[in-house]
Amino acid sequence: MDDMRLADSAVKAAETKIAARKVQVFYGDSHAIKDVDIDIADRTVTAFIGPSGCGKSTFLRCLNRMNDTIPACRVEGDILLDGEDIYDKRVDPVQLRARVGMVFQKPNPFPKSIYENVAYGPKIHGLARNKAELDEIVESSLRRAALWNEAKDRLSAPGTGLSGGQQQRLCIARAIATSPEVLLMDEPCSALDPIATAQVEELIDELRAQFSVVIVTHSMQQAARVSQRTAFFHLGNLVEYGETGQIFTNPRDPRTESYITGRIG
Amino acid sequence: MTNGILVLIVMALAAAAHVLARRRSLAVVAGDIKKLHSLPAHHGQTGFLFTAVPALLLMALWLVVQPFVIDARVGGMIADSDVPAGSTHELVMADVRRISDGLDTVVALGGSGEEEALASMRADSSAVRARLAKAGVALGDNVGDAAFTAAAAHRALVHSGRNAMTAAVLALAVAGLGFGLSRVRPDFRARIASERFVTGLLIASSLIAILTTLGIVASLLFETLHFFRLYPASDFFFSTVWNPQFRGGSDLGIWPLLWGTIYVSLIALVVAVPVGLMSAIYLSEYASARMRAWVKPAIEILAGIPTIVYGLFALITVGPILRDYFAQPFGLGSSSSSVMTAGIVMGIMVIPFVSSLSDDIINAVPQSLRDGSLALGATPSETVRQVVFPAALPGIVGAILLAASRAIGETMIVVMGAGAAAKLSLNPFEAMTTVTVKIVSQLTGDTEFASPETLVAFALGLTLFVMTLALNILALYIVRKYREQYE
Repeated sequence: MDDMRLADSAVKAAETKIAARKVQVFYGDSHAIKDVDIDIADRTVTAFIGPSGCGKSTFLRCLNRMNDTIPACRVEGDILLDGEDIYDKRVDPVQLRARVGMVFQKPNPFPKSIYENVAYGPKIHGLARNKAELDEIVESSLRRAALWNEAKDRLSAPGTGLSGGQQQRLCIARAIATSPEVLLMDEPCSALDPIATAQVEELIDELRAQFSVVIVTHSMQQAARVSQRTAFFHLGNLVEYGETGQIFTNPRDPRTESYITGRIG
Repeated sequence: MTNGILVLIVMALAAAAHVLARRRSLAVVAGDIKKLHSLPAHHGQTGFLFTAVPALLLMALWLVVQPFVIDARVGGMIADSDVPAGSTHELVMADVRRISDGLDTVVALGGSGEEEALASMRADSSAVRARLAKAGVALGDNVGDAAFTAAAAHRALVHSGRNAMTAAVLALAVAGLGFGLSRVRPDFRARIASERFVTGLLIASSLIAILTTLGIVASLLFETLHFFRLYPASDFFFSTVWNPQFRGGSDLGIWPLLWGTIYVSLIALVVAVPVGLMSAIYLSEYASARMRAWVKPAIEILAGIPTIVYGLFALITVGPILRDYFAQPFGLGSSSSSVMTAGIVMGIMVIPFVSSLSDDIINAVPQSLRDGSLALGATPSETVRQVVFPAALPGIVGAILLAASRAIGETMIVVMGAGAAAKLSLNPFEAMTTVTVKIVSQLTGDTEFASPETLVAFALGLTLFVMTLALNILALYIVRKYREQYE
């Protein structure tokens, strides 16, 4: 519990990275997210938990405007990244996504080599002036994703040839290669076995030093293990948001208690 | 009794067998279906099959074999001395068959007794030709005695053969009916028997397609070998002159035609591939669902236009425009028929092949790859160029090769757009022609069938077949090899 307190104090010191106010999301006529207010802190792992269909993934996709690709989806309210409204007309979703990276539920490496997978983002955004710099970005990204030792001898092999856990770490390396400020993870471990899950969780904990990480998960143990703050969603509402220790040991809302003790969901 | 009526009778017997077998199966178990291994409907089906299939097979076989047997027996009646000068035994036999058919018509028209009519005609063989002409059978020469006798014998044999066939087929159908009914027992596995028959039917259907292909190849190959016996293969494959003569002594080099084919197809692909691919990318990546629902069928309409209509378009619109605004101002030619005309119109024709297939292939690229790229801050066009397109490339190459083999085989547009002059030239505004066009003109010409000028069509056809086959195999190979890349 001492560790937990240390983490708590770190959270208090961190400043707000993303602030959401009265966010509503509609899919056609259905109201998927209702009145969500949340402050996501910098250099912190924030977990979104809740039963299936509660809107946690939808809300996560609002944070880098990935919902723009769904024609029937409509977002209202304000989401501020560093005090700037990301749904403002002047904001280019392409630039936003370079700042807010994302890792998906199923590993989705491109059908290219491992090197090309990681170099994809830096090349698009012109982050490297020459081949040597690009090599360095690729190496450091793979190192931070704990994949360097396994991949350094086969950088030109296709990324799709890696195992599931390695593919997911490759996707994480690919996401951090563009140096985002926030990393969104949508159930990053649901397709992985326990060993690969442990590796990815360890990685998430290390990433906290540089990024603000938001992770959607179905596993409450995982939320408890990796996050400092937890938000519980239910039927499109943000029911409770607070420090992870408090949510799991002393929930204020009866619905949160029912969920974490296994009675709903 | 005509063949059609015979088939109808057999089918009626089979239908009766269906009803009877069904009824009997119920009677055997006194209405308790559970005691039957198969349902009454299955017993009905097997009854139907036992009756119809052997009888119809016998009929088909008989119809194929009978002409050969009769020809062999009648052929002996025509001695070599009966064959007029300049004719052959085969030609006389063809006349005999026609006279035999004509006699039937005469007898039917005459109204009088059959024997009388034949006897009167035999007595006055010089009038035979006139009477046959009245019955609608035109003959080139007066009918000789031997030919007339042979024809009468031919007719008699045909009649007795037909009667025997009718009797045999009906007997077999009735026997099949009896056999089918006798097998209706509770433990008879009628369901399995009819399933097995259906399997056989399906196998036979798929074999027909394969055997037809083999038959086409075999006939091409046979006539091609025949051609190479009359004309040296090395001249055909390596000569650069195409100049067929009616008197013989032609130059039949394939290169001018092959070059025309390749040139026209190349221009067609240069038109079709970029336009088709870009419209496929628009449809699959950018268009809204409503837009797509309109545009895709509209593009596919292009594939439904008959090629002769494209040919008209080339002849009266594209050709003159190219001549007046491009060829003449730049001094490249004064002909409205040109490789460019045919190539452009053909390119328009194959656009839907490229766009429709590529659209399906691009749609099959998993959405997760697009999401992954967009989430890294790539723009939609970067995503298409760097992720979606490479992932779909093998399939797209397959689509392009299929479009190419379609372009290579096209005839009508070339006839009307590019003309019929076999030429080896690099100027796209000059008239040229392709392999397919020359196949048509050589086969429909006035020359004798056994001359190299006609037989060259088969060699050209085989070359074309091998080319498109190679392209198709290449397309299949590429698609198979890279298909699972993104899985």
